[in-house]
Amino acid sequence: MERQVIQSVGFRNIAENGKITGFQFKIRLPYYRGVFLSQLRPGTLTVDGETFGKDEIVWNFCSEDYTWEEMTTNYDQHWAVTKPATLKVKKEGGLKQGFHDLTYGFCFTSSYMPPVIQDHLDPDSENMVFMPEFGHHVNSRRLLIV
Amino acid sequence: MYRYDKKGPKRGVALYSYSAEFGLTKNLEECFEDVHDMGAHGIEILANTHIENYPYPSDEWVENWWRLCDKYDIVPVEYGNWIDSHVMGGRDLTTEESVAMLSRDIRLAHRLGFTVMRTKMPVINDKLEPVLNWREIIKGALPLAEKLNMKMCPEIHIPSNLKGEMVTNFVDFIRETGTKNFGLNIDFSVFRTNFSKGEWVDPNYEANKPEDIIPLLPYIYCCHAKFINMSDDFEETTIPYPEIIKVMQENGWDGYLLSEYEGADKYEEGYEVGQTLRKQHIMLKNLLGD
Repeated sequence: MERQVIQSVGFRNIAENGKITGFQFKIRLPYYRGVFLSQLRPGTLTVDGETFGKDEIVWNFCSEDYTWEEMTTNYDQHWAVTKPATLKVKKEGGLKQGFHDLTYGFCFTSSYMPPVIQDHLDPDSENMVFMPEFGHHVNSRRLLIV
Repeated sequence: MYRYDKKGPKRGVALYSYSAEFGLTKNLEECFEDVHDMGAHGIEILANTHIENYPYPSDEWVENWWRLCDKYDIVPVEYGNWIDSHVMGGRDLTTEESVAMLSRDIRLAHRLGFTVMRTKMPVINDKLEPVLNWREIIKGALPLAEKLNMKMCPEIHIPSNLKGEMVTNFVDFIRETGTKNFGLNIDFSVFRTNFSKGEWVDPNYEANKPEDIIPLLPYIYCCHAKFINMSDDFEETTIPYPEIIKVMQENGWDGYLLSEYEGADKYEEGYEVGQTLRKQHIMLKNLLGD
């Protein structure tokens, strides 16, 4: 597992029935502890200037797909810090061969932290006080599609 | 299982200290071996971090856990868990649902050989006071905790004060229920006297003197030996360790001091937290004799 939140391993187009229908990438949880899915606050993905909202991104843990809505009530499935999650995006034709700039924002709740921090969680911008054991909300990486 | 029969304060390591490395450059076995290198035995784990496939580890993983404890003379002391009744955004968990979550962790802690839990609850204000139904949640789990010989302990941490309202409320609960399965974990940051120039300090914070811990000792089942800055002469420059340990030894306290390094610099490229932990353990070994 790489130290960067957006992993280089796992970035590729997705084919279904012989056609490219989208792409996927993997992210690790940069927190010092794992979270239950209902704690997640998925944000916006930007690829080469094109944005995808949370409605357009499916999260996959342990081979099971979850929409962001399904995750909001799931406090049984746990996301471990040692296992990257796969995020899948529908896009006809997928991403072209070559370089792509990805920026993705997400965060999570930590209810033992004071309300002054918890009440202002925004997946697409950083916390007012950065604590490395919580990681950054927004991460970017430049990766290649073959 | 390794038994460490020493009476009095004993040293160990909270594996949270390895947060910047765990899963990247250190795995669980390497953390265990690091603790063993220091001649220390006690550990704290974080349930949501160090248990593979939490909250449902496989039997194979658990058997390997025990094998690793034996191999490195590790004593599982404290299991860090969260009773997160605010786990969903839409509604709070009911008391019953919270008790179910806590009970699951009590069983898992017991299965892995732990005897103390560092139990964190959601907070409702910036003074870090816990959710209003904390007493009902804990009472709901006490019979199971008693059956499995588990002591659930919220952690008392800067900016809380040992003589403050939050600790008093916990002690009142212990006295009213007479329970031996709920107590306190004291993080030594409550004794911190020195801060760097320009470092932000909570205006409500007042440092405790080492003797302030004495009336609480019967309820303290584990401590976090917090450290902020170890000099190369193996002294902690911000917290009066020799005085604290002397008070605990003289008053017959028996339990583990689990060293914990929270410093943000452990995430910096090239920082070696194992070396910082070793400095603290040289200090602790010299103060404790072992």
